[in-house]
Amino acid sequence: MPSPMALNPPSRSPSIFKKKKSFSQLSSMATAASYLSAVHQADTRARSHDNSSVSSTPALSLSSSVTASSEDTILNEDDENNCLAYPFTPPTSEQVFTTVHTEFGHCANEAYRCVSKHDYSKPVQEHNIEEPPYYILLTTYISYLILLCFGHMRDFFGKRFTKSYFTHLMPHDGYAPLNSDFDSFYTRRLKRRMDDCFSQPVTGVAGRTIVILDRYSTDNNHTQIFTGGKTRALNISSYNYLGFAQARGGCADAVEESIRRYGVSTCGTRLESGSSELHASAEALVARFVGMEDALISSMGFATNSTFIPALVGKGSLVISDELNHASIRVGVRHSDAQVRMFKHNDMLSLESLLREVVSQGQPKTHRPWKKILVIVEGLYSMEGTLVNLPRIVELKQKYKFFLFVDEAHSIGALGPHGRGVTDYFNIPPRSIDVLMGTFTKSFGAAGGYIAGPKILIDALRLHGHSGLYAEAMTPPVLTQVVSSMASIMGVVPSSQSTKSALTLSPASSIVTLKDGAEELPVMAPSSMLPTWMNLHPALADGSEARMRIRRLAFNSRYLHQGLKKLGFITYGHPFSPIVPLLIFNPGKMSMFSRMMRSRSTPIVVVVVAYPATPLVTSRVRFCVSASHTKEDIDMVLRACDEVGGILDLKHGVGERWGIDEVCKRAVELVHSV
Amino acid sequence: MDSSTSVALEPVLSFLAFSLSKLESGFYRIPGSAVVARYVKSSHQNDPGRTILELILVIFAIRTLLQSRTRTDRSGKHFIKFSEKEIDELVDEWVPEPLAQPLSEWEQRDLSSVPVISGPNGPKPKLLATGKIVTNLASFNFAGLAGNEKVKERALETLQKYGLGSCGPPGFYGTIDVHLDLEREIAEFLGTEASILYSQGFSTISSVIPAFCKRGDIIVADRSVNFAIQKGILISRSTVRWFDHNDLKSLEDTLISVEKERKKRKGPLTRRFIITEGIFERDGEMVDLPKLVELKLKYKYRLILDESISFGTMGRTGRGLTELYNVPASQIDMLVGSVANGLCSAGGFCAGSSIVVDHQSCIKQRINGTSFVFSASMPALLATSGSEAITFLRNNPSVLLNLQDNIRAIRAVLEKTEGITLLGHRASPIIHFCLRTQQQSLAVTQPTYDYEAEERILQDIVDDSIANGVLLTRAKHLRGQEMVESRPTIRIAATAALSRKEVEKAAGVVKASVTRILSKRR
Repeated sequence: MPSPMALNPPSRSPSIFKKKKSFSQLSSMATAASYLSAVHQADTRARSHDNSSVSSTPALSLSSSVTASSEDTILNEDDENNCLAYPFTPPTSEQVFTTVHTEFGHCANEAYRCVSKHDYSKPVQEHNIEEPPYYILLTTYISYLILLCFGHMRDFFGKRFTKSYFTHLMPHDGYAPLNSDFDSFYTRRLKRRMDDCFSQPVTGVAGRTIVILDRYSTDNNHTQIFTGGKTRALNISSYNYLGFAQARGGCADAVEESIRRYGVSTCGTRLESGSSELHASAEALVARFVGMEDALISSMGFATNSTFIPALVGKGSLVISDELNHASIRVGVRHSDAQVRMFKHNDMLSLESLLREVVSQGQPKTHRPWKKILVIVEGLYSMEGTLVNLPRIVELKQKYKFFLFVDEAHSIGALGPHGRGVTDYFNIPPRSIDVLMGTFTKSFGAAGGYIAGPKILIDALRLHGHSGLYAEAMTPPVLTQVVSSMASIMGVVPSSQSTKSALTLSPASSIVTLKDGAEELPVMAPSSMLPTWMNLHPALADGSEARMRIRRLAFNSRYLHQGLKKLGFITYGHPFSPIVPLLIFNPGKMSMFSRMMRSRSTPIVVVVVAYPATPLVTSRVRFCVSASHTKEDIDMVLRACDEVGGILDLKHGVGERWGIDEVCKRAVELVHSV
Repeated sequence: MDSSTSVALEPVLSFLAFSLSKLESGFYRIPGSAVVARYVKSSHQNDPGRTILELILVIFAIRTLLQSRTRTDRSGKHFIKFSEKEIDELVDEWVPEPLAQPLSEWEQRDLSSVPVISGPNGPKPKLLATGKIVTNLASFNFAGLAGNEKVKERALETLQKYGLGSCGPPGFYGTIDVHLDLEREIAEFLGTEASILYSQGFSTISSVIPAFCKRGDIIVADRSVNFAIQKGILISRSTVRWFDHNDLKSLEDTLISVEKERKKRKGPLTRRFIITEGIFERDGEMVDLPKLVELKLKYKYRLILDESISFGTMGRTGRGLTELYNVPASQIDMLVGSVANGLCSAGGFCAGSSIVVDHQSCIKQRINGTSFVFSASMPALLATSGSEAITFLRNNPSVLLNLQDNIRAIRAVLEKTEGITLLGHRASPIIHFCLRTQQQSLAVTQPTYDYEAEERILQDIVDDSIANGVLLTRAKHLRGQEMVESRPTIRIAATAALSRKEVEKAAGVVKASVTRILSKRR
């Protein structure tokens, strides 16, 4: 197990990888049987020689057999880190895992599953914020004050005495400085000091584990020097909710086939000869997946909002936006000529009072009625982990007749018993919402985004959105990843049945099935919608693997939430949200937290966020749980948080507290308790 | 009576006196209270009017402090107070416009005529609608990289090691080593210090501009820049001055007048930028780069040059206009290019100039470039495809010679075609042509033509030539949203992947289509 709080500097050994050329003949041994025996061997070996420092030949051979080809997928390192490379419990003979453990963890225990679904017997959880003790707030403000004083003092004296460091901030030969010192103050004085916690270059798959490139700085983070070494760390930071970031498996096989068939680009914009048949089939599939009439795909998630919102609203329209909406939405609204008003984050009373005001007042000055009002909310907020109060908004929508745009960038795939996002979670028919937008970056392991709605609207967006005319179309490999991962979440109707089921799969009946309850399967993908060359293997095609992923994600999210709470931390967000923010408050502790987690014997990489992405005092670490994590991984994160949080004095939550061992032992009980 | 009341009040008064003295002694125990007392005493100066005035001031200050937290909309002079019932009625009465209008007949035709390609795109793609193989004069495949086997191999290798998605923005474990490699390779290829990758070509420049240009800065831009630049300028909120399309004389006049204005106002030194395109996406004109750089240096402006079309197509090895004109890329402060167009992959980049500016600019963009910071990074295999494409360009200078041959061949055929006018520079890999009018005036500022009618004729030409085996496309614009409405054109994208014979034949088909459609009209 990880040793307690050793603040080791990151290892700078030149390389912890070893070439395994001599065992390359084993690389073709990718069958389940060979894999099983390999894992078995690994386990017995790990148990027998506990602390043997250098791995012997059998370890090399089996690691190459597990990884099947890529040498970076599995590390050959000390036994301590084998908990990242090999499962804690060896698989039994009836369990067959098709994934690589470092990409997608092996977890066969059916108790570690949960269904993400709204319980209508309870009111929708309000976004309640736990306040820290006053001394924490006070010290936080004081540390920012010190930062401001010292920073400005250093700027003042630095500009006079050490001019060479400040040339870029001062006018020189007739050019104004590119950065004004005031604008860049925060960047230079706070962010640079913890730059080692940001933009960490990585290599390989951003799956359950990730390989970071070791680096260090000798000049206070002005430049980073790469040692050439790499460290495998537990990855609780990537938006890999359903664990589809894999270099192995059915989706990767499909992508491989598509590159062979289609190449890597469609060479153009959608409307100017860059449209491929893959676009058409992916769009049809997305529409069916989200339960809308039609859908449109864009090659970049950010651009989906920033280029299509201007086509939805124009002069004389009003956009009502949640104050914590993503930057892409703000940019999109600014590109349009519409007016904007904001309401307090997820506060339905604030929204209603604003609606009453704007509808009754009409446009400013002229008092003409608004042409249309578009309310833009996110399904799941990426910094807070809060879930939109969709039932209430849909109620308000009926009364106030606004149009509703839900950005499901984070919630699609990650929430709901069938992974269809917030509508699925709340069991609300998707078509009671006007526009559903989402991205493929997160749950689907691809890139880009979609926008779905009524056919009239989507057709108008195809012509009038900026993306269709000016932006490059989505590339075939990405499209294939979208189609294969999405089809596996939906499940594919075998072609023999597809004619029979065509009737029941009409769009109208899809709403009915969704309404009927979670037990019944919602629409599946007819095999006619997939490219004919795409052969998903049975576990993907019947949707069973994706169901397992969705339920594992729900369990993991909930376990981490409840576990952190029981350990005494202040967290935000909805218990089913895969985004779990843990509040840190003091800016100085942020970088410490990140460094301490990274330098554990089993390194864990975390994301820390602070002002300006969050309000000044509420700096936080943001965990992104994935279905690829096993229960043991979450245990490891909890244990690490417990130790680091104890040292950094982060446990200020109220309520009952449990010890770490009790939390780990009673995980299942915890998950089902709320 | 009088004495009785004073007797009755006595305990009250004595209590008041007692509590007053208690308060006073308590007050003086607070450290620093003596100063406050002295201040009050000196300001009072036996004049209660002064004290009252000060009190009013304090109350006013507190009130304004509290008030500023609420929005002023409700108390503004245009605000009308309604009762709850009236609001309910107004809410009931309000009927919003539908979110989208059904497409007009022309728009429907426009949408349905978009060609969909079955299988891989390339010089000879198969159309889904007809199943016919056509010659492609529409897609951006300038160097013929589409379907390149080496690129495919490299993409497959990357897939096996990295998977597809990066699952995170660059700041949070989304920076993969292959991104750093491509950034370095682009910088080395161009000869700049560094470069930064964006995951979509279109969003690159509209994010780069607001990362540098802020309110109060001055932008001098070409009137006919592409849509992405227009959007970037709009978002930046800088002061914009426009100069005539590709007219460097007009640019110089503008620069002089800006300088005059600044001297008159005696304003502080602000950041100043010239923004233009290398080869204009809108019409294929090419900017005179040496002259432009000379002006930029003379008037001390920073230059943001969009090489989305020229990168990967111009110069001996596709380094763009800097190679063509032999201008060091370091003279251009921000050189923006497209990996999607020039390297047949996806995304865009911004390459920086001298050490200081570049180092700072890249860091700055890594923090301020909205679509860099807030968007997931590009899939690894698209980045390595870009790298492989650069290697291809470095090793095969002959492809760009083929490209120039093909451009000349197409222009030679179309120049002889009746009824159309070719636009743009002779070497431009995109060739626009519009219908010829009697006046022969191409000034975009005075529309002497019927936009919609011309659009329809051009679409007929496109449809006819597709039916005859050559894929063409109109250059499509968002009408009404572009700053300058340019005349409808058909845009041909030349490619090195076709032989000269094939290109000549295809251009011949286009010529025949033009003649056929135009003769039908007359």
